[in-house]
Amino acid sequence: MKWTNGFCLICIFLCGTLSEGVNAQTEKLMKRADSLFDSGNYFEASIAYERVYFVAEVPLARITANLKKTQALKQLGEYEKAHGDLRRSLTYRGEDSLRLEVLYEMAICAYLGGDPDDAYGLLRQFRHLSGEGSGQRVYLLEGLALAELMQWDALSDHLENWVLNFSDDTGLADEKLQRFAEILTEKDQQARRDPEKARLWSALIPGSGQVYAGEAGWGLLNAFSQLASLGAFSAMALNGYYVAAVFAGLGPFQSFYFGGIRQAGLMAEAHEKSRREKTLAAVREFLFNLEEELGAE
Amino acid sequence: MTNLLFAVLLLLHMLPVYSSDTGNLFIATDRIVTHGHSEGVSGHDHIWHREMDFIRYLIGRGDYRESLFLLERVVPENNHQNDSLNYLTGWVYYQQKTLDLSARHLLQVSKESPVYHKSRFFAAYSLAHDGDAGRAGEVLELTDSGTDNLYHALQRLQLGGISLLERDYKRYRSHAADFSGNHHVTAAEEQRMEHHYAQLRDRRTASPFIAGMLSAAVPGLGKIYAGKSAEGVAGFLYVAALGLTAFDFYRGSGPDSVLFVLSASAAGAFYVGNIVGSVAAARRANQEFNYEMDQRILFDMHIPLRNAF
Repeated sequence: MKWTNGFCLICIFLCGTLSEGVNAQTEKLMKRADSLFDSGNYFEASIAYERVYFVAEVPLARITANLKKTQALKQLGEYEKAHGDLRRSLTYRGEDSLRLEVLYEMAICAYLGGDPDDAYGLLRQFRHLSGEGSGQRVYLLEGLALAELMQWDALSDHLENWVLNFSDDTGLADEKLQRFAEILTEKDQQARRDPEKARLWSALIPGSGQVYAGEAGWGLLNAFSQLASLGAFSAMALNGYYVAAVFAGLGPFQSFYFGGIRQAGLMAEAHEKSRREKTLAAVREFLFNLEEELGAE
Repeated sequence: MTNLLFAVLLLLHMLPVYSSDTGNLFIATDRIVTHGHSEGVSGHDHIWHREMDFIRYLIGRGDYRESLFLLERVVPENNHQNDSLNYLTGWVYYQQKTLDLSARHLLQVSKESPVYHKSRFFAAYSLAHDGDAGRAGEVLELTDSGTDNLYHALQRLQLGGISLLERDYKRYRSHAADFSGNHHVTAAEEQRMEHHYAQLRDRRTASPFIAGMLSAAVPGLGKIYAGKSAEGVAGFLYVAALGLTAFDFYRGSGPDSVLFVLSASAAGAFYVGNIVGSVAAARRANQEFNYEMDQRILFDMHIPLRNAF
């Protein structure tokens, strides 16, 4: 009996000692990874953090390493990879603050990786877990994701909640909403160019679609080309060159005509894209300024 | 008795427990060496295995860049470790589709290694895929497949595939004579390889000369002969339209008319261009057929390798 007890004691002691050894090793590896990160060696730091994740037996150490690796990957611009790595830690059932951090980091990686839809979904999960305790950065990111998704009404409601949660000034929300509406009016509605309309205009009046899309020079060139080819057709037909009129007059004309319609549509689309980028840039600037302003209060 | 137990516990506590403190394995910027350490050979082995475990883990995750970074910093101490290093490096390059480097490393795996056959087969495949079918054949011919039926069947199939890639039908027949169809890993591919052989053998190669002559007779006909029917019809329409336009001007204004000279020149340029295009189309058609056949052969060489290993 005494020997059995002794054996058990030895086993417990050995487990404790070995576990202590692993923890010390994890800690040392983490320090090494941190120093690589601090020195700006993000690639090696990401490997070192992954090694900690691989070696660590304690979930807390693994999730910490994973989160730190995310910072290194973000510095390297590898947002999709960081997002995928963080997915491993979603099942963590320890501290809520760490789970929330994982969700936030996943959302920011999704946003930076060009998937605002996913970012918004993850932030909704974040809010569900955190209740009303979301920080400014979460509001900012959610606002950015909504802006990217062009959900202006939802963004307007979101702004109101944001301001009311972080400011005692009751008039501030109205003021910010008004400013936001102004930005949309200035940037979004004034210079809208519908590609369908541009195509229709070009179909009715050659070159007018390009002028509508803001490219008057191209519109004039296209209109002149069509007139010239029609003129050639008429001249040849009037002089009895009927076959030549069809091939050398009508042939180029149809190319210029249909090409002009297509070109007008593409120009309007390019204009819309540029307008959207300008609107987004203005909204982004507004959101960052708002965060700064509310943070200062 | 209790005293004895405590003495044992104390003794155990004083024993060095291996941790990273005792090695410099994790210094990522340095090469992994443990010479002069108090751990001795077993310590190095332990570090080596742990490092290899981590690298394999990274490879499994698809972190090939990171794996290569670590593999480049590992210094093997014996042949076994050297084999592991070359195999893993070759395998990572293979996954990255850097096939020349993959073959170079895989071919350095020694015969004593348990991954010798896998390395040789994949090295040969990498070489064949990289366009060096001759070297791939040499590698496989020099590979001792031993008494294993699977390796033997794989070797015959791969050599058959390589012969087809080189369009050496006589050599293919000699390898295909050993196709048994009995091994489930290679049976289906052996049949398909025979099908590829029949397709290659029976293929009528498009002659660029005939294509050019046909297009000289009837614009676009050479392209249709080369299997590019749509291009042929379009070519015919262009030349015909320009020819008719030139004829119209000739009929109305005579041969000295500027309009006739311009349109006739354009028609002539399109006519000659169509002939040249037909010659190119015949060559292109042959190249496309050969490329497609090569891809099919390589595919049927690859599948059994992935199934076997």
